[in-house]
Amino acid sequence: MSILVDKKTRVLIQGITGHEGARACNEMLSYGTKVLAGVTPGKGGQKISGVPVYDTVRQALAKHRSINTSLIAVPAAAVKDAAMEAIFAGIPLVNILAEHVPTLDCAEIVARARAKGTILVGPSSVGVISPKEKVKIGSIGSSLVRNVFTPGSVGVVSKSGGMTAEIAVTLTNAGIGQSTVLGIGGDQIIGFDFVDALKLFGKDPETKAVILFGEVGGTYEEQAAEFIRKEKFKKPVVAVVAGKFTARLPQGTVLGHAGAIVAKGKGGYDSKVRAFKKAGVPVAATLDEIPWLLRQLLRGRMK
Amino acid sequence: MRLYEFEGKRLFEKYGIPVPKSVLLEKSGKVSGIKLPVVLKAQVLSGERKSAGGILFPKNKSELSHGLKKLFAAHIRGEPVQKILVEGRISASREYYLSLSYDTDTRGPVLAFSSRGGSRIAIALKANVAPLDILLGAKPFLIREALSKGKVPSEDINGLAKVIINLWKLFVSEYALVAEINPLFRTPSGEFIAGDAKVILDDEKLNPGERRFIELGGDIAILASGGGASLLNIDALLQYKGKPANYTEYSGNPPADVVKALTQRVLGRPGLKGAWVIGGTANFTDIYETLKGFIEGLRQVKPKPAYPIVIRRDGPNQEKAFAMLREVAKKEGYDFHLFNSKTSMAESAKLMVKYAYHDKIKIQTANIKMKE
Repeated sequence: MSILVDKKTRVLIQGITGHEGARACNEMLSYGTKVLAGVTPGKGGQKISGVPVYDTVRQALAKHRSINTSLIAVPAAAVKDAAMEAIFAGIPLVNILAEHVPTLDCAEIVARARAKGTILVGPSSVGVISPKEKVKIGSIGSSLVRNVFTPGSVGVVSKSGGMTAEIAVTLTNAGIGQSTVLGIGGDQIIGFDFVDALKLFGKDPETKAVILFGEVGGTYEEQAAEFIRKEKFKKPVVAVVAGKFTARLPQGTVLGHAGAIVAKGKGGYDSKVRAFKKAGVPVAATLDEIPWLLRQLLRGRMK
Repeated sequence: MRLYEFEGKRLFEKYGIPVPKSVLLEKSGKVSGIKLPVVLKAQVLSGERKSAGGILFPKNKSELSHGLKKLFAAHIRGEPVQKILVEGRISASREYYLSLSYDTDTRGPVLAFSSRGGSRIAIALKANVAPLDILLGAKPFLIREALSKGKVPSEDINGLAKVIINLWKLFVSEYALVAEINPLFRTPSGEFIAGDAKVILDDEKLNPGERRFIELGGDIAILASGGGASLLNIDALLQYKGKPANYTEYSGNPPADVVKALTQRVLGRPGLKGAWVIGGTANFTDIYETLKGFIEGLRQVKPKPAYPIVIRRDGPNQEKAFAMLREVAKKEGYDFHLFNSKTSMAESAKLMVKYAYHDKIKIQTANIKMKE
């Protein structure tokens, strides 16, 4: 088992003829993901790595009824329209790979997805990978890097795309495999947050523990800590909060990700660490500490 | 991008939000077309201008010319004053705080308001917050409901709602992240006039892909890849008592010329004791392409860096990239220390600190250490 993706995942790639889309298509096919169709308006009839291209999502769905996931790999300015197209066509899972989507567009897409009951992961999501099911969507675990993701029982959810592979390396080097690893994106407004991931990981029998990689800005980490505390989340969780040093930068400074906005009080490093501590979630200062903390928690659990 | 007050007020005017009569002065210049009493406002980006001496209330002509001279010579929180906004004073019977921004709790826009102006932080803390439905927009009835829930007096509800609707139009049409009026004056005759303007526009809309760069004042230059890794690694460097010179970040498979330009900027600074090229294991970034850009940038740095350069990268094409780096180090004499993901990011931070501050480095011979 896994979350979001499994053997039944059937993918449509919007923007398949673009650089990012074509690359993601090849990587996904070679990992074992079933990519059934692509969409690029005006390029219907073409093929990318054998995958047929259509002009519209509805056209693709009419030909490939089992599509249940759309990967959006169009340029930022076209993301809102593409996401709306997927949402209105009724695709249950939409994963937005594209970065630099304006906040207004993010908010509109997220609101529309909620209204329609679509699961929306991203924008700026590196993707979702399940090493055991051999399924991935998005850029996560491309080419040789796929080997750093190994099957196992730890779920990883990260605001940072880059850190998904690095955490997988850290775990794999320590002999710990992963159930599902996903990037939720570091934008201010995202469709799928830590709490959404925890809810699914909580129900997934394969997942025995969860790693959260967060950073300063916004309140998604505080919300996750609240959720763990209030809902008495059963599985061990280890958190990482990047950006301790930002406490000395002026309020409002924006760092790497659009959502990493320096805040005093809520949203800041101390607020997040305090929230996790209050929820009994250990915060690793470096990734190196994760395997050790994880083993401590799992050992405590077995007694 | 944060706008100056006068830029924000120009947008207010465009969207029908009244602002005081004003004259913008650039480095001297005379005040004309505006009558005393006026207020002099230094146009700087830092907040809390009043307490930093950036806002003056001259009582007469001599105080006015004195005030202008004083402000033009001033630095407000380190920022030189280039422009002064001279505004007619507004007598207000009430003051309000209004703001539109995004909130990660509701994952959408929120309206915040409160009666009485004052310091930004104090006001924001006690403000009424009402989430807005982005699909519906700021409908007048919703705004009136929010205002009445916030105990705004009846006689102000319509006027205030009108300002909020106009501010909302600005917020969505201009792709603002923050649109704030503090204070919003309510005159005895019932008009609403924006006393200040704080507007932040979305860089993702204006300058997508712009690289963020922040001076941190230390002596270890950092080229970090990835939004999350860049933050985590500066934390790690500080933990090992390293002093970061800068924050910057490149990600999303950057082309070689982007890395080249960034390398020149980051490594070309005086007084460096080391440079750290750091990133997590990349999912799809071509490490060879990235490090090729780094070398091109490095070659432009004058004088040629003699300090240790720790490179910790992994991902697609990492082996090919390291072979190239070894070759360059041997031929051109750079002090490279190369690590792949067998050495953790934090471990490489520790080594960076050791090489930069504690080891005597021989410059003449290339010192290449490998741990693979």
